[in-house]
Amino acid sequence: FTAVVAIKWLTDGEEEQPLQAVLVADSFNRRFFPISKDQPRALLPLANVAMIDYTLEFLTSTGVQETFVFCCWMSNKIKEHLLKSKWCRPTSPNVVRIITSDLYRSLGDVLRDVDAKALVRSDFILVYGDVVSNIDVTQALQEHRQRRKAEKNISVMTMIFKQSSPGHKSRCEEDDIIVAMDSKTKRVLHYQRTQGLKKLQFPMNIFHSVSDEFEIRYDLLDCHISICSPQVAELFTDNFDYQTRNDFVRGILVNEEILGNQIHLYVTMDGYGARVSNLLMYDAVSSDMVRRWIYPLTPEANFTDRKGQECTHSRHNVYRGAGVSLGHGSHMAENVLIGRDTSIGANCHISNSVIGSNCTIGDNVVLDRAYVWNGVHIASGAVIRQSVLCDGVKVKERVTLNRQCVLAYNVVVGPDISLPEGTVVSMHHPDEEDEEDEDEFLSDGADNSSNQAKTKLKAFSAAEVGAEGKGYIWRPVKQDDTEDDELVQCLWGETSSCITTGVYAVFQTEVLGTLQRGMEENISCDNLVLEINSLKYAYNITLKEVMQVLMRVVLEFPFQQQGPQLAAVQYCALLLRLLKKWAPVFRNYVKRAPDQMDCLESLEEFFLEHETHWGAMVKVLMELYQLDILEEELIMRWFSDGVTSAKSRQLRKNPGLLKFIQWLEEAEDESSEEDGQ
Amino acid sequence: MPGTDRETDLSERTEAFLAELKRSGGGAGPLRGSGETARETVALLRKITAQARWSNAGELMEIVRKEGRRMTAAQPSETTVGNMVRRVLKIIREEYARSRGSSEEADQQESLHKLLTSGGLSEDNFRQHFAPLKGNVIEAVNELLTELDGTTENIAMQALEHIHSNEVIMTIGRSRTVEAFLKAACKRKFHVIVAECAPFCQGHEMATSLSEANIETTVIPDAAIFAVMSRVNKVIIGTQTVLANGGLRAVNGTHTLALAAKHHSTPLIVCAPMFKLSPQFPNEEDTFHKFVSPQEVLPFTEGEILSEVNVHCPVFDYVPPELITLFISNIGGNAPSYIYRLMSELYHPEDHEL
Repeated sequence: FTAVVAIKWLTDGEEEQPLQAVLVADSFNRRFFPISKDQPRALLPLANVAMIDYTLEFLTSTGVQETFVFCCWMSNKIKEHLLKSKWCRPTSPNVVRIITSDLYRSLGDVLRDVDAKALVRSDFILVYGDVVSNIDVTQALQEHRQRRKAEKNISVMTMIFKQSSPGHKSRCEEDDIIVAMDSKTKRVLHYQRTQGLKKLQFPMNIFHSVSDEFEIRYDLLDCHISICSPQVAELFTDNFDYQTRNDFVRGILVNEEILGNQIHLYVTMDGYGARVSNLLMYDAVSSDMVRRWIYPLTPEANFTDRKGQECTHSRHNVYRGAGVSLGHGSHMAENVLIGRDTSIGANCHISNSVIGSNCTIGDNVVLDRAYVWNGVHIASGAVIRQSVLCDGVKVKERVTLNRQCVLAYNVVVGPDISLPEGTVVSMHHPDEEDEEDEDEFLSDGADNSSNQAKTKLKAFSAAEVGAEGKGYIWRPVKQDDTEDDELVQCLWGETSSCITTGVYAVFQTEVLGTLQRGMEENISCDNLVLEINSLKYAYNITLKEVMQVLMRVVLEFPFQQQGPQLAAVQYCALLLRLLKKWAPVFRNYVKRAPDQMDCLESLEEFFLEHETHWGAMVKVLMELYQLDILEEELIMRWFSDGVTSAKSRQLRKNPGLLKFIQWLEEAEDESSEEDGQ
Repeated sequence: MPGTDRETDLSERTEAFLAELKRSGGGAGPLRGSGETARETVALLRKITAQARWSNAGELMEIVRKEGRRMTAAQPSETTVGNMVRRVLKIIREEYARSRGSSEEADQQESLHKLLTSGGLSEDNFRQHFAPLKGNVIEAVNELLTELDGTTENIAMQALEHIHSNEVIMTIGRSRTVEAFLKAACKRKFHVIVAECAPFCQGHEMATSLSEANIETTVIPDAAIFAVMSRVNKVIIGTQTVLANGGLRAVNGTHTLALAAKHHSTPLIVCAPMFKLSPQFPNEEDTFHKFVSPQEVLPFTEGEILSEVNVHCPVFDYVPPELITLFISNIGGNAPSYIYRLMSELYHPEDHEL
């Protein structure tokens, strides 16, 4: 009995603080453009409920009593939505406080603001406004608190993951990570995003630490839910360059010895948690919702307690709202959710789709994996597959939408038109974008197209959206094929080309920038070395990588200056001048034999990508040899041993190179003869 | 103002209860304990009676009905909530009738003639104001709470009449009532076979609990129910709801068990407290079934296959009344054909639809 009292007293003393949460209702990227131009991402409907409602429901059901909602983009709309919702009723167990500012540019800014305003008093939960989850974090929270009690606040963050094997459709490829962790303490030792990586490297020192059991896991799905201690906000303030949670995690892991902070993880088996970070995830999470994976968050639960959201659930996961009318011969095959007052004509076939409220669908319509929001009109004979149709869209007669089409707000298409796979149509002209500000989404390619497009601005193309159509195709295919793919896949989330691929790439651009400045302002080589060194520490890049990046940047330098169509001869001339100029920089980094081998490897790698410039390679080798950066012995070794592929073998058969090698051999013989004498 | 304070407090409690109902039953569902839900509902209704603003029985009934609708909508599969609301409504009717001096229970449904002529016993009759009504209703609700507290013991007390020495008894899943019933007979030597009730396997917990009480227990997979049935003397099961026709809405697999028992002419006894008796009929509405996350059937970790297949995980079975031999409730044993009578004793016919 006394023990019970003691525990109660302890917990009473320590857990007086209500559980708080920080909800970031902004994604700080433009993955949902052009849809999110009209509506912030947190308010986009998923299974007919705004995404932020799922996040708030998750927080409330897990016991959060105070939530700070941070909004930036279209904060008024989010505020309006929240004030009308059940979360702002006086009886709500979770007090929602809305904080808006146009100055937030990243998660880092938000957390710095949390610190500045001293909003959090104890451990808090950090989530994005587009997380859908039913995980009960109580267990994780308990573990987190115990760790903090046992080890004097060493653990600053517990990240929550869901176990899910590779290949699962709800795994977001962009978020694929590999984690090395201590099996006993669940401490994260290494954390790396794997997207686009073919090779993974683990620092050896993580295996030398105290524990003797490690797990390296690739079966984790990042739920984007983390339990943070108040120190997290402070750390973001101290390190003003942290922008995302990824930066933070990497920063903590790298500086672990200095600051003594640790990050832990919690793996849940049965809860569900995913972030809707692109349209593929939107598709996956919607279908999980309709298939009841997120029970008790199901469409018919009407957890938002809104009038008119009620629906019934019947066999094969068919959900029907009030006042739905279904024409004769129409068939709702499976996993269909239909909102209130929607009418469907005769002989339609609907499967795996979500249809909002007040929609009108004509006869003989086929919908498969279609996400139709509110107030959409689909005329007879339309065929729609795996597409998103936003509010107020009109699809005229006999229109076919192939996979991964997106019709943003109030677009009209048709009649009698077939939109190719991946078409994105919006009422906003893509060029409006350029004027607002430049971003990674519309890179250099847009400049060429905008001039042509501007001439026909404000006129809808009948060929693209049909005779009665209204809307602009984003990235017309005829102008730039590759760019178009890129945009759609960004929206649907298949490639990474528009997001930064990691520290390595950033470092490379930084080095390039430094060298360019060095060139323009004629900075001395010593200072350049100094700058590159500081960058190396800032981005935590190994010496070897610095070398590879440097080599690559210098080799690409002429292309950067003169454009990619540079002929081999000019390229060679420019490059040789650069090499001479920056020889001291190279000498600083390329000292030992392994450095030279690395240097040669990256040289080879670069020229394998630029076949037309093989002639220049010999000259570069010659120059580097003469500048005493590379030794003949190592060039020989590279030539004989470094063959990795058929192409590199071919490279070694280049007559120029052969001649150079022969010359080297002779020179060596001579020198050795001289030595002998 | 203290009045508004009390009201916000009341609505806060109601909201909290609603939210809890909505979130309850993640997975195994009925295991949260219908008894607990019933008690909580009645306690909340008592609070509403005591604190809400009403001046006559009609108004109170309207408030209770409104809250009742919200509560049943929050978790339609939990019929106990609705049943308790109906019980309280019935109490209010009776107390009102008593205050007025006539005995409502006596003349209710007495004759066909009366039924035809009375035509919609309109609520005008409830408009009269009686000062002691509040106290009387609260007292009667307290009695109901006491009755609820004693249900499990009352059922368990009857165990020795039904379980004899050296019998082999089969049960399925885990029911608190059945658990108490079997344990109450543990001074006799008998053998319990528990069907594990996949995918939630509550049967495992049941078996552990029974063997701790020194009852000889065997766990079998659900597929073996038919094969083992020939050795069984009696089947004793619990249920989630007793329906108006005497059928059951019970945990998945019960229908299989009941059919196997019928085939072998093994008696099937259902232990169900009276608060589980619902005026609902089977296949009346879409909410009859409850599907939960498919996680237990095919784990989320399976990966690729999940996008190819549809997985369903229903929780309840419907068992028709002709498969059931006997109901044991806190007021004694009854045949399924007698359920209609109990129904009319417990609930007023006008309250069947909330």
